Amino acid sequence: MSQLPPPDAAFVQVRDLKRVFDVSKPWLNRVLEHAPKQYLKAVDGVSFDIRKGETFALVGESGSGKSTVARMVVGLLPPSGGTVSIAGISMNDVAVAQERQRMRRRIQMIFQDPYASLNPRWRVGRIIAEPIRAFDIIEGEGDITARIGELLTLVGLHPDDAKKFPHEFSGGQRQRIAIARALASNAEFIVCDEPTSALDVSVQAQILNLMRDLQQKFGLTYLFISHNLAVVRHMATRIGVMYLGRLVEVSEGKQLFSAPRHPYTRMLLDAVPDLAMVGKAREGVKGEIPNPINPPSGCTFHPRCPLAFDRCKVENPAVIDGVACHAVNGDRAAAA
Amino acid sequence: MTVPVLSVRDLTVEFVTRRGTLRALDKISFDIARGEVLGVVGESGAGKSVTGSAIIGLIDPPGRIAGGEVVLSGERVDNRPPEAMRRIRGKRIGMIFQDPLTSLNPLYRVGEQLIETIRTHTSLNAAEARKRAIALLDEVGIPAPDRRIDGYPHEFSGGMRQRVVIALALCAEPEFIIADEPTTALDVSVQAQIIALIKRLCSERGTSVMLVTHDMGVIAETADRVAVMYAGRIAEIGPVRDVVKDPLHPYAKGLMGAIPSIEGDADRLVQIPGSMPRLSAIPRGCAFNPRCAQAFARCHVERPELTRVGDRQVACHLYDQPKAEIAA
Repeated sequence: MSQLPPPDAAFVQVRDLKRVFDVSKPWLNRVLEHAPKQYLKAVDGVSFDIRKGETFALVGESGSGKSTVARMVVGLLPPSGGTVSIAGISMNDVAVAQERQRMRRRIQMIFQDPYASLNPRWRVGRIIAEPIRAFDIIEGEGDITARIGELLTLVGLHPDDAKKFPHEFSGGQRQRIAIARALASNAEFIVCDEPTSALDVSVQAQILNLMRDLQQKFGLTYLFISHNLAVVRHMATRIGVMYLGRLVEVSEGKQLFSAPRHPYTRMLLDAVPDLAMVGKAREGVKGEIPNPINPPSGCTFHPRCPLAFDRCKVENPAVIDGVACHAVNGDRAAAA
Repeated sequence: MTVPVLSVRDLTVEFVTRRGTLRALDKISFDIARGEVLGVVGESGAGKSVTGSAIIGLIDPPGRIAGGEVVLSGERVDNRPPEAMRRIRGKRIGMIFQDPLTSLNPLYRVGEQLIETIRTHTSLNAAEARKRAIALLDEVGIPAPDRRIDGYPHEFSGGMRQRVVIALALCAEPEFIIADEPTTALDVSVQAQIIALIKRLCSERGTSVMLVTHDMGVIAETADRVAVMYAGRIAEIGPVRDVVKDPLHPYAKGLMGAIPSIEGDADRLVQIPGSMPRLSAIPRGCAFNPRCAQAFARCHVERPELTRVGDRQVACHLYDQPKAEIAA
């Protein structure tokens, strides 16, 4: 572990990441109806850094683009623009294809639905061994079997479970298998896309605790995607809040909750039902996420924003000091 | 005390399968007073939704109500013939389901569905019914209701659709509404709006609500009383403040501790080992005993009944005195 970069250095660098989806009607319809091509900007200029060993969380409501970012970071989806580099190796540059191939084994992903992410026709042992075999990490069947048993024990299952099929496990146990698979290639960076939102609360607590224990044990770095603010608060070192494909605020974990700055973050925090809120009144929330095909001009949050003024309708705010908002940054911008 | 709007006594629901009879609900009893919101929480398989279905008589075969009674405003309803039950549903008991897209017919305009329901349950004519439908849409917070009434469900967003479903449930001014996971399919900001709406409507109309959800946060904010269910039985029932802040039953304790909070500062979440038992393998004695840290000999043999502790009732041997001790 001596060749690791200093803890402050960014392990994952995401710069101006963009993704546009073509949602046009079929060609014949476009010709007959004179309809133009339609594009959906799922991710629009997102930049952030993830330091080694930390948990960076992305939160946002459905359609905010958080899963699209996750898929681009691991390379499941090519970006339309911008760059992702992990440990200094660009994920899009053709010139470093060789190094990138070696890099791949250090990145793994855990998906939301443990029923869909495990092959139902494979035994658990084969599922977990897949990365080991794909990357030729261990030679020899005996050693691989031993490693599978070790991984299963690590995530709180029994080595004998390797002989079973996924359907013999509950949702929480399946998510443990998915975690074991992610660890099989000695991954350092794990992208977790809503890892607990399909689980019951008591099982969710088990999985979140397990993920934290593993992080401490192996120094893992997580990119944690969730719509649940309470879960994010529990897990994250730093948090990015997304709204309609843009990052509106990036903040240290606890600080986001004690001193939210962007009006959207404040609104979101106000909306979370919480055990501590018994019998308390709360401020009303206005409006819904607009259609991302035709997002509002300027700052996309302006129609719902209590602080919006003329400038917000025309100009897209830049991220200054972790917040993208004209109202919050007004003083700073004026002073500069 | 006045007659409760809904009174459930020893309700038992069984599913007959090839592998034997499974008991999904095991002698549960509770009351809901007028204007009260009772939250029902539990994890998947605890029997929350079955409770709702049993009350409105919508248990599909092979399931059946094997015992107990459901009393609506002093009138027993669980033994009514299907035709009579059909008139009670919608008229006296309104329903809000999880997925607003499946509770609305996609081929009919929203207005047609509202007007049909209003005319089925009241004696209003078409024009009056339409006026009433518009008033209802306005009441649930749909902007420009006189134009939106002619829209199809797909033209509404998820939150707006759920508002339409709530309007549908209110059509016949029912005395009691069952809301089964009404906000689970919605985003947080929209969820907050729907919760506020349900709360406001209940206090304005004095309608009682049974709110079924797995989200304790929603219950904490909406309900007056809460019932925590586990493996087809009620583990603890009482005022929401007491149960959330200071749960008595070990399962309720574990459940509250397992929920990450945006206020709390717990470094680790409380972990309940294991998972909910299957209906085919409910343990002997207290169904929670294999997962309970405080289980003792009696928990393995004798099933605890609900016992009154202060304002609430708890089904746990830690809180009831063995009969021998009382006698002594």
